[in-house]
Amino acid sequence: MTTVLTVLWHLTRAATLIAGITILVFLLVRVVPGDVVDVLAIEGGLTDAQAEALRANLGLTVSWFDQFRAWCIGVLQGDFGESLRFRVPAADLLWHAIPVTLRLAAASLLLGFVLAVSVSLLATLRPQSVFVSLVDALNIWSISVPTFCAGLVGILVFSLWLGWLPVLGNFLVPVIILGVDAAGQIVKPLHEEMKELGTAAYVRTARAKGLHPLRIVIVHVLPAAAPVLLAMTGLIAASFIGGALTMEVLFGLPGVGSLAFNAINGRDYPLIQAVVLFLAVSVILINFATDLAHRLIDPRPER
Amino acid sequence: MINPYEIGRRTLLAASTALLLASTAIVLPTGAAADEPVRGGVLRIATLGLDTADPHRHTGSIGVQQVYVEALTSIAPDGSAVPWLAESFDVSDDGLSYTFRIRDGVTFHNGDSLTAEEVRANFERVRQNVEGGWLASAMQFTETFEAPDDNTFVVTMNAPYAPFLNLISELWILSPNSPGWDETITQPIGTGPFTFGEWTPNVSLMAPAFEGYWDGDRPYLDAVEFDLHDGADQSLALRSGDLHIGRVSRDQLPMVEADGNIAIQNLKDTTWFFWSFNNRSPNPPLDNVRVREAITYALDKSAYMDFIAGEQGIVTNQMVIPGNFHFDEALHEGDAHAAPNLELARQILEEEGVDPSAVTLQVVSWQRPYAEVAVQMVRELGFEIEHAALDDLGAQQRLGQYDWDLAPMASGPRADVFLRFVRMMSDGPNPVLWGGVQDEEYDRLVSAAVAEADPERRRQHYLDAWQMVMDNYWTVVTGHAPTLFGVRNEVLGFEFGFTFGPHYAGGGLAHAWLAE
Repeated sequence: MTTVLTVLWHLTRAATLIAGITILVFLLVRVVPGDVVDVLAIEGGLTDAQAEALRANLGLTVSWFDQFRAWCIGVLQGDFGESLRFRVPAADLLWHAIPVTLRLAAASLLLGFVLAVSVSLLATLRPQSVFVSLVDALNIWSISVPTFCAGLVGILVFSLWLGWLPVLGNFLVPVIILGVDAAGQIVKPLHEEMKELGTAAYVRTARAKGLHPLRIVIVHVLPAAAPVLLAMTGLIAASFIGGALTMEVLFGLPGVGSLAFNAINGRDYPLIQAVVLFLAVSVILINFATDLAHRLIDPRPER
Repeated sequence: MINPYEIGRRTLLAASTALLLASTAIVLPTGAAADEPVRGGVLRIATLGLDTADPHRHTGSIGVQQVYVEALTSIAPDGSAVPWLAESFDVSDDGLSYTFRIRDGVTFHNGDSLTAEEVRANFERVRQNVEGGWLASAMQFTETFEAPDDNTFVVTMNAPYAPFLNLISELWILSPNSPGWDETITQPIGTGPFTFGEWTPNVSLMAPAFEGYWDGDRPYLDAVEFDLHDGADQSLALRSGDLHIGRVSRDQLPMVEADGNIAIQNLKDTTWFFWSFNNRSPNPPLDNVRVREAITYALDKSAYMDFIAGEQGIVTNQMVIPGNFHFDEALHEGDAHAAPNLELARQILEEEGVDPSAVTLQVVSWQRPYAEVAVQMVRELGFEIEHAALDDLGAQQRLGQYDWDLAPMASGPRADVFLRFVRMMSDGPNPVLWGGVQDEEYDRLVSAAVAEADPERRRQHYLDAWQMVMDNYWTVVTGHAPTLFGVRNEVLGFEFGFTFGPHYAGGGLAHAWLAE
């Protein structure tokens, strides 16, 4: 019963959050100076009268409340509206961008996860080895090296100097850069947790029983450190879903981040709202899944 | 750096001609044009974006749709209108009737033949359905569209309109069977050498070759892929070979040229640079034309254009470059602001009772370095300056408030000189960059130019209008610079035209091929 109530509470909270974010974004994008007609007018083809006519034609002259109501009704019927700039369904643009972002996020996260766990594990097994320095190096790298700098270096080295990889549509380099960045964020707290767990009574007992150190770390220490791993991975996954904008722009990857960026620049309201709705739902779902998984592997918060 | 005020008329003309010729010479390695074109390959190009699949609804610069849709006329590299889907055209002496002879043997991508009736349907669609853009303005001057037979199309005007032939170079002829014809076209069916393939907004357009293209055995390429990403650094993609053709900014030029595999081309029309005063609602003391004159004396045009374009900068006081029909040599030679004169500027300010240190000028610009150069030049006179360097949309908004004093700006290539003059008309499109001029006499002169059938008399009306602009210091031209592109050496037979259009009568992507 408690679990059911918890799930219901989470769902209610998620729905409220999504509604709040949607309303806030709807208002914010309209408060920002300029609209899509201003964007089109920059090229110089619209007189004032033509611009006003176009505004009316695009439905930008009706009240915000009516615009919001129409959009909500559309969304509830599965219609996310039409891009004001490109005059194609916003959902089509979004569905085109989502697979790119998911692929980039999943591959980067997997690389970061594997790298962080491996290095933490080896550093815990060999406390005096180079792996401890590697933990710090990864962590400092992720804090101090912006991904766009690493991206530019990657382009210079792999695309221009060596000629191995293309610039546009290159997937490997951004995955490595984001993966290393994610690993750097995960590895330090994970290693600290594993070090602390290494002094726990049950680990001392395992050592006293003569278990192999590798078995102790994998079977007894790592599972106990899983909540830290899960929390960090969930946070990073949520940020990757938002789109690694710099990587997308540098390498010409048409993901959700660059879609949102261009939509905001172009004041493309329906597209902005569709992207934000997707992001809000995704982040909430990831957090929700992370919470549930946390409770499954560590039931203490429920007690 | 070309400074015509120091090196004289002949050198100036030679230099500007050389600029045009160099762009032609660079693209075709010796003997390449004579080589047999090679068939096949996908050419990847990035110039401008594509905002709509409906070619009739564009509102600004266009650099993609020309490959899948064509028009009755085309802009030649010298800026004149030449026949394209029309085999020929005649204009009546009074400028009220245009008769187009429609080319035989042209088919749409769906296999239908092009006749005058399809042309008429396109003109009607633009007149009735399109609310914005240059064409909507041009259509106000049309009275009737008639197609007396399959090969003849006649436009009757309600008043003479000189830019008509140039402007309809962007009135694309589509099959009325194009999906979305009654509302917004979603799949344009044109007559171009390539078809509208798969379009992903802000990402790419894949345009496969049209086998039934009317112009000989062209195109040679299998397809053209347009990269439509906003904000991506095209120079890196050019150097790595991901792009065959892409834009190159001035600061990227040395590295691109050093690559050895990329030639630099430019559009035949130039970007003109100018600074505008707030003409709609000028603040004191800028409402005094003498004060504007004094401020303009602080402008060092040669240094300014050198900063913007280096050796390719052209210094002048007009909106077109030497060699253009509308350029006036005498006006150019008589430019009082050919060189800065701070002493005279200070003298005028004193005569007008202006203490620069007590005046704070509001300068609005895009986030471009040259705007800061302009600011520093004006500061020489002792003015306090608040400089707002904004993004495109921010500048657009701020300029529209007319609460500023000075705006260093630029504007790109256009299909007709009228599209430059119209910006300073009272009801002109997007007038903010030129300070929102509203002057009945200027309107009358430009309208007279537009209504004048005789080219020489039309030119004189335009020059009279421009003299007004200069006398009133509404906008001060500093000079011109070419728009640069990198073209990889494996691209042969390709040359950019007057504007961004990558396909035009006699040149462009239909003529291009990739070296084996």
